[in-house]
Amino acid sequence: MSGPLRILHLFPRTLGLNGEGGNVDILRRRAESRGLSVEVTQLDDGDVDGDGDTVPSSVDLVFIGSGPVSAQVQTQAAVLAVAPALRALASDGVPVLAVGAGFQLLGTSITLADGSALVGASVFPVTTVVTGERVVGDFVVESRLGTLVGFENRGSYIDIGTASPIGRVIYGRGNVAAEGPGAGASAAAIAASGSTASSVVRVAADARVEGFWVDNLIGTHLHGPVLANNPALADWLLSAALARRGETLPAATPDLVEIDRRAAEARATITAAPLSE
Amino acid sequence: MGVRTTTAVLVGRAVRVAARARGGGSAIPGNIALKIDPEFLQHSIARIPLGVVAVSGSNGKSTTTNMLAAILREHGLKVFTNPSGGNLPQGIASSVLASVSASGVLDADIAILEVDEGYGPKLTKMLKPTTVLLLNIQIDQLNRYHEPDRVVRMLAEVAGTATKSLVLNRDDNHLVDLDSRLGAAFTSSRAVSFFGATPELIGASAHGLASADRFGDDQTGAGARPADVTVTDLGDSQAVLGVDGTDIAVRLPARGLHYALDAAGATATARSVLGARFRPGLVTAALNGLTTVYGRGELLRVDGEDIEIIMMKNPASLQLNLDSLESAPEQVFMAVDEGTPDPSWVYDIDLSSLDHVDVITGSKAWQFAVRFGYANIPVGTVDLDVRAAIKQFLALPRPARGRKTMILNYEQMMLIRKILGFKELEGGGKA
Repeated sequence: MSGPLRILHLFPRTLGLNGEGGNVDILRRRAESRGLSVEVTQLDDGDVDGDGDTVPSSVDLVFIGSGPVSAQVQTQAAVLAVAPALRALASDGVPVLAVGAGFQLLGTSITLADGSALVGASVFPVTTVVTGERVVGDFVVESRLGTLVGFENRGSYIDIGTASPIGRVIYGRGNVAAEGPGAGASAAAIAASGSTASSVVRVAADARVEGFWVDNLIGTHLHGPVLANNPALADWLLSAALARRGETLPAATPDLVEIDRRAAEARATITAAPLSE
Repeated sequence: MGVRTTTAVLVGRAVRVAARARGGGSAIPGNIALKIDPEFLQHSIARIPLGVVAVSGSNGKSTTTNMLAAILREHGLKVFTNPSGGNLPQGIASSVLASVSASGVLDADIAILEVDEGYGPKLTKMLKPTTVLLLNIQIDQLNRYHEPDRVVRMLAEVAGTATKSLVLNRDDNHLVDLDSRLGAAFTSSRAVSFFGATPELIGASAHGLASADRFGDDQTGAGARPADVTVTDLGDSQAVLGVDGTDIAVRLPARGLHYALDAAGATATARSVLGARFRPGLVTAALNGLTTVYGRGELLRVDGEDIEIIMMKNPASLQLNLDSLESAPEQVFMAVDEGTPDPSWVYDIDLSSLDHVDVITGSKAWQFAVRFGYANIPVGTVDLDVRAAIKQFLALPRPARGRKTMILNYEQMMLIRKILGFKELEGGGKA
């Protein structure tokens, strides 16, 4: 193997809410268990000097997590400073996993509650509006890797245009307002909330989709953290990172096989009886 | 006192008697009283001579309310308080029903009320507390609050309802300068006081005080304000508080700096409420005489064995409770269910004070088993059937060091107490 697998962890201090950093720990563990060496570079907003030259030139995998809107506002300048470097990595095929607020910041723009817009890094061709209906609950998505589970907790809508999503929503809302199990506001709640809700355009239950997945770029609002109970997604990212170097991911070791057995049980438990608030 | 209030009291009480006879349903009587008289709480509590003290924050509300009530009782005051966890309007109304006369008069000098963050703004606007004590803002129930910034806004609203005094934790990132953010109109006519711990003690705690990060705006760093009551030393279930130049020793419900800060907050509030009548020496006596609020450092005795309960209400409470363990617990049981809908935060927790878990149950059991797998902590059995899981755990040989340990979320704690044959009191008034 030609040197360690280099993971760039963007803005862990401001975008590390609710276990997001676990995604990087999980990637590291799943690589190290297989005998690969891993080097994680953390880049925080205070590390960015404005030239964008703080992004390492050689990166195999990029992760950015989620955080509150206040953290999003605080991190935006640093995101813009590293945007050219991130776009270069993305166009070189470096896999990127972006979650929640981090996914939104790597899009082209975020419209805030007061109507003002935050410009994003334009790594993902997506736009976000933060003032949507809040949805809070289990999240089940059918993807090319099988069933993915997580937790959905968002009040924003994200428009991915004609790009392809991660998959179809089985339970939960997904990118925009929708009908269907777990999609958020019940008919009664919509009726009670008055006129604003009636103007919301909802996609049909079977048209719900989640996230963005084009080439090696993955953006999502699956939390949990997302890789915790979806080891197939973690391994897909590692494989994609290694493939760029002409390497392949070794088979899972017994400790990973046991973790993956438990994760399959966790997915089965959530899928059997998903709940939302 | 109106006919409506009297009706609310009489009907509420009848329901309370019926509900207790059936065992449980403790918030229902309060709910009914509030339906009959929506201003039931104002009518019953507004007449109390020294008014209402509201206690809120992410963690330690029940423990601190309990401590503050004890300190004030030790000073000779007749105190009305809501029992642990009964911190929603209906829970508070249920406890009022247990203590009022038929005309709705509450026989007390002062009310100490634990107030839920989410209901806090509405409740405190109704109750107009003289004093507000805010303990901390930590990552908590994001499924309910969406993000910590919202909790900050809600607690700022609660603080703004204080008519006389505000007591704040100076070591909390968000509370250290909350008074100045409320503006001169507020601070010019209120007494603001602080409590905290010495920087050495906070530095020595593995994860500090687990205060929620604060982003943006110009801010005062946590710890920057002078405190009226300071935790100066910490021992095993005891602490020393510095109050006006006097050192007082206090007993804590269990090991942990967070419990010492609860004691400091309660003491600072008692000092603020009592003014010249405050006697530091009475704090020691009051806290020595306390029983623990259950689930907060509580020991249950089952079949001749002690079971220590660690409640994992949220990341901060779990982390601080794990940090205060003396050594890795010998036998560990864990139960987490839908009361913790999104356990993502367990990936932020340093679990290294555990060296194994014997049994995991509850609907979130497999998610925790995955987390322990990634943390290299061996897991014995996963069984989603809570009763079967308890049976297995109790069947383990008697621990050499004397106690078994259960790590439980709130809902599982209530259920398991019941399964083990302990009486349920939460939210339902004193038995």
